Amino acid sequence: MSEPSELTAVRRYLAPVGGSTALFVALVAGCSIYAAGGGSSRDSLVTQLLINAVVVVGIQIYMGNTGVLSFGHVGFGGVAAYVFALFAISPERKATIIPDAPFGLTDAGTGPVVAVLIAIAICIVVAVIVGLGLVRSGAQSGAVAATVITLALLFVVHEVAVNWTELTGGDRAGLSFSVGETLGSLWPVYLVLFASIVAGRVFSESRVGRSARASREDDLAARAMGINPAVPQMAALVLSVVIVAAGSSLRVYELGTVTPKFFFLDYTLLTLTMLIVGGRKGVTGALLGVVVITAGNELTRYLAGPDVNIAGLDWLLRDGLSEIFLGGAMLGFMILRPSGLLDDWELDRWWFDRWRRRREHAPPPPVPAPTAAPASLRAEGVTVRFGGFTALRDASVAATNDTVLGLIGPNGAGKTTLLNVITGLVEPAEGAVTLDGAPVTGLPSHQLARRGLVRTFQNLRLFSSLTVRDNIAVAAEVGARYRADRARPSVEELLVLARLWDQRDRRARELDYGNSRRLELARAAAVGPVFLLLDEPTSGMSESESQAMIEQVRATAAAVGAGIVVIDHDLGFIVGICQQIVCLDQGAVIATGTAAEIQADPAVRAAYLGSRAPV
Amino acid sequence: MTEILQQLVDGLGRGSEYALIGLGIALIFGVMHLVNFAQGDLITVSGYVTYALLTAGWSWWAVIPLIVLSATLTSVVIEFVAFRRVRGASDTTMLLTSFGVHFVITALFVMFVSPNVRTFDRPGWITNTVTIGSVRLEVFDLATLGVTIVTLAATAFLVRRTMFGISLRAAAEDFAAARLMGVRSDRVIQGAFALAGLLAGIASVFILMRSGRTSPNFGETPMLKGILAALIGGLGSLGGAVIGGFALGLLEVFLIARLPDELAGLTNGVVFLLIALLFIFRPGGIVSVRHAERV
Amino acid sequence: MAILAVEGLSCRYGSIRAIRDVDLTVDEGEIVGLIGANGAGKTTTLNGIAGLVTPSGGRVRFAERDVTGLGPDRLLRAGLALVPERRRIFIDLTVAENLKVGGVTASRREREERLEEMTSRFPVLRDKWSTAAGFLSGGEAQQLAIARALMSAPRLLLMDEPTLGLAPTLVDRIFELVVSLRASGVTLLIVEQNATRLLEVADRAYVMRTGDVAMSGRGADLLARADLFESYVGDTA
Repeated sequence: MSEPSELTAVRRYLAPVGGSTALFVALVAGCSIYAAGGGSSRDSLVTQLLINAVVVVGIQIYMGNTGVLSFGHVGFGGVAAYVFALFAISPERKATIIPDAPFGLTDAGTGPVVAVLIAIAICIVVAVIVGLGLVRSGAQSGAVAATVITLALLFVVHEVAVNWTELTGGDRAGLSFSVGETLGSLWPVYLVLFASIVAGRVFSESRVGRSARASREDDLAARAMGINPAVPQMAALVLSVVIVAAGSSLRVYELGTVTPKFFFLDYTLLTLTMLIVGGRKGVTGALLGVVVITAGNELTRYLAGPDVNIAGLDWLLRDGLSEIFLGGAMLGFMILRPSGLLDDWELDRWWFDRWRRRREHAPPPPVPAPTAAPASLRAEGVTVRFGGFTALRDASVAATNDTVLGLIGPNGAGKTTLLNVITGLVEPAEGAVTLDGAPVTGLPSHQLARRGLVRTFQNLRLFSSLTVRDNIAVAAEVGARYRADRARPSVEELLVLARLWDQRDRRARELDYGNSRRLELARAAAVGPVFLLLDEPTSGMSESESQAMIEQVRATAAAVGAGIVVIDHDLGFIVGICQQIVCLDQGAVIATGTAAEIQADPAVRAAYLGSRAPV
Repeated sequence: MTEILQQLVDGLGRGSEYALIGLGIALIFGVMHLVNFAQGDLITVSGYVTYALLTAGWSWWAVIPLIVLSATLTSVVIEFVAFRRVRGASDTTMLLTSFGVHFVITALFVMFVSPNVRTFDRPGWITNTVTIGSVRLEVFDLATLGVTIVTLAATAFLVRRTMFGISLRAAAEDFAAARLMGVRSDRVIQGAFALAGLLAGIASVFILMRSGRTSPNFGETPMLKGILAALIGGLGSLGGAVIGGFALGLLEVFLIARLPDELAGLTNGVVFLLIALLFIFRPGGIVSVRHAERV
Repeated sequence: MAILAVEGLSCRYGSIRAIRDVDLTVDEGEIVGLIGANGAGKTTTLNGIAGLVTPSGGRVRFAERDVTGLGPDRLLRAGLALVPERRRIFIDLTVAENLKVGGVTASRREREERLEEMTSRFPVLRDKWSTAAGFLSGGEAQQLAIARALMSAPRLLLMDEPTLGLAPTLVDRIFELVVSLRASGVTLLIVEQNATRLLEVADRAYVMRTGDVAMSGRGADLLARADLFESYVGDTA
């Protein structure tokens, strides 16, 4: 079991709902106080602030959890806005503004509630299509592809809104409600805003939300721990679009009108600046950003308005000051403080972390797992070619879960390539990999991890901005879901085993090197592997650190009952831990045997030191 | 047949503008991995310079070199003021920075000039046509095409034959290795921005002659077309951006001619949709430049 | 005279302490070898000297000047050139253009003169003058990488694994080239996989293991040592 279940319930539901309530009450209270001190213009400002908060929280759910910069979320908003307007405006009104609407929409009238639901439904469909596109192109082109696709959405929506006049009322008039048909009370806004904040926090603490953030930190490592990034990313997208759709509908309902300009570049700039200034990795930050930017905007509007006349500053205090403020705020933060004011700080997490720390004590280190059924991992006749270069030539290795197998060899020998074949990163031209006789060649890495083949990386791939504990917890959640039948130590036990208990709430990137390596090992163990495949675990370590690592690897493997396959250059480490060693050179296996046999083998010496004789 | 020829020249004429801007975008992306949303503002700046000078009585011939100069200068200034500070940052940071720069510049024009559209007189020969056989072609399209071809040839010479161009291409391919050879990174990036500005300036001449007006966000649409052109060619490929620009121009003309009248306004929308689909299925662009690789 | 003096050099990659307290010297006119198993820190040491990586500690003195942490473009102007690991030739540029970039710090006339030199020293490059570098074979590419570095007329040439992936006859050629470069007045610091071959031509060598220097001495002496393998790969007792 990976986390005491009462703690899980508090962390996932109680704390987020409580924190969301606190944030919501603070925001609404602050707004009410401000509105009480003025007239209807203040009321209007407050309403817009609350509605913008909904939209920004929606965008945050996607951008914060996936790390993808979406320029086009406002495009989803535009779709929702027009759909809402088309269904919510009364047929009598529509007969005067868009008498020739296609699909018989002039006569359709469902009232605002149903209209919002229809808008949300249509946006979900669009989101799924766009999401599939993002998944398809994402791995290859990264940030640029996502920007292009989402930007295209924004522009397509704008173009359709401007040009399909029968449907949308075109550029100037757009669609508008008749007087009195618009948003009356603030209760729908309160309801939607509260629901959005809760949704954002609950999603963030859920298994899916945490998987999304792990993938955001390091896609390859997440897959190696059994996470398929496409699923959490799609979930984040759909949830975020639902909220943006609801918020955009409210925006139209409040304004009483929609034109193409309302959901285009200006609104994109506004919402993105709010997110960047406040901190796009958290809901609390998003809300703070909304308040700060709205206040700043109002201030600049006031300064630029007719009521303020400061001699000498006339050239500055005029129309356009708001845009300078917005653009300048975005630029300033991107250059000086890209993580925003609050980064990923969350009110309920802050409280929960402190509450949990007071309650918990370090458990005793995990006992060795009961002897598991024998398991075997074989790679047979593996050949890999990269273009004209043969990286591996008919290589075969066999490992069982009660021994430690080492792979050694000089640079370019093919050791990492062989590991990559076994863990699904590289597809062999020939040969097969079997786990307990079942063929697993060519399966994607996240599926191999779910079957128990978990690896670490030579270049240390931690989820850097997640805490030490969360790095392990994310992997443990995979273990709980896909490897429930295995004995898995809890997250706390693994922390103790890795001697990271005191650092458990620090971010992974703050750890020093030795601790980072042990964290990577503990994270891999949390999945409940049947085989741990370690790629140069002592790379960069001093001699004494390497020796200590021997014990660490042994104890970890014993705690989860896993076999070990390890690549390393430090023969002292290899000899200290491996019962069986395979030496590769130039893509082929040149020696297999025990430590003593390998050290004495002249072929091994020649491989490392080079020789005059042709190979 | 004559119709096709006319559409061809028309499309290539438009495509010339897109090709020049797209080439600038590809140049900057090559060395900095930055999609420059502020590229369009160079056109806007040129527009205001044109408006100011023409209203003051200058002739178009005198204004043209100043258009090119102002675009080039603005590009270098933007690099120095904004982009130099985020060099080496993540792609997302740079994208957002260029977005922010674009908005600040637009706002500056709203503030210090006017939010309204400013018009000026177009040169008289704009509407002239020339008849070759049975084909009637617009002089303007031919002029645009001619100047563009000369510009592209000169740029190709610069990029292929001069030390600056060779250093630029080396830096675009492997920035660290170029530094190892002694290439000065600052100079290379400045040079890329200056060249991109020059190309945008030349494109601006024709864009402004054609439109006869300017406004704070006037440069947005041409910039977008330029980005699309660079994307079609596969970001970072110079030749691809040029081909992409011409292809985009031809595609536009083709769509306008083929789409039923009511939907003609949706041309841009269709283009964006196609680009999005392109990116989903071929993220490397249509013209995937094959890197030299020993098989 | 020591043309290169490295004292207490330490470098990190993020939180990875890649090398720690490395001392080495190279006298003018020498070939000095840097050998050791992978992960020992040989490439990091070269990168730290050449300015590709900013050292976290220690000093690098080149020709009596403190050059610690200077960027690679400034070091090149001072006369220190690096042929990096895996060559990093510009595959989309032609052979000629690659060489020209190598000579970017020289005047036009110097560049032309040196291009002539390179074509006579490396005739295969003249044959492939206008071919894109990506089409070259491994051996040709290695020669291009070395020629490119020589275009700046360096006093000290650092080479990182020059025989990686090359067939044995080409390995011979590379070592012949290295010896002839020494004869023409270039000092060399070479990282090599093939320790045996390198120790045969090197005046002196350092053996690195897990981030620091484990052993050093004259090339012939090291070659004769029985415990070379152990110091290379770790105490396996």
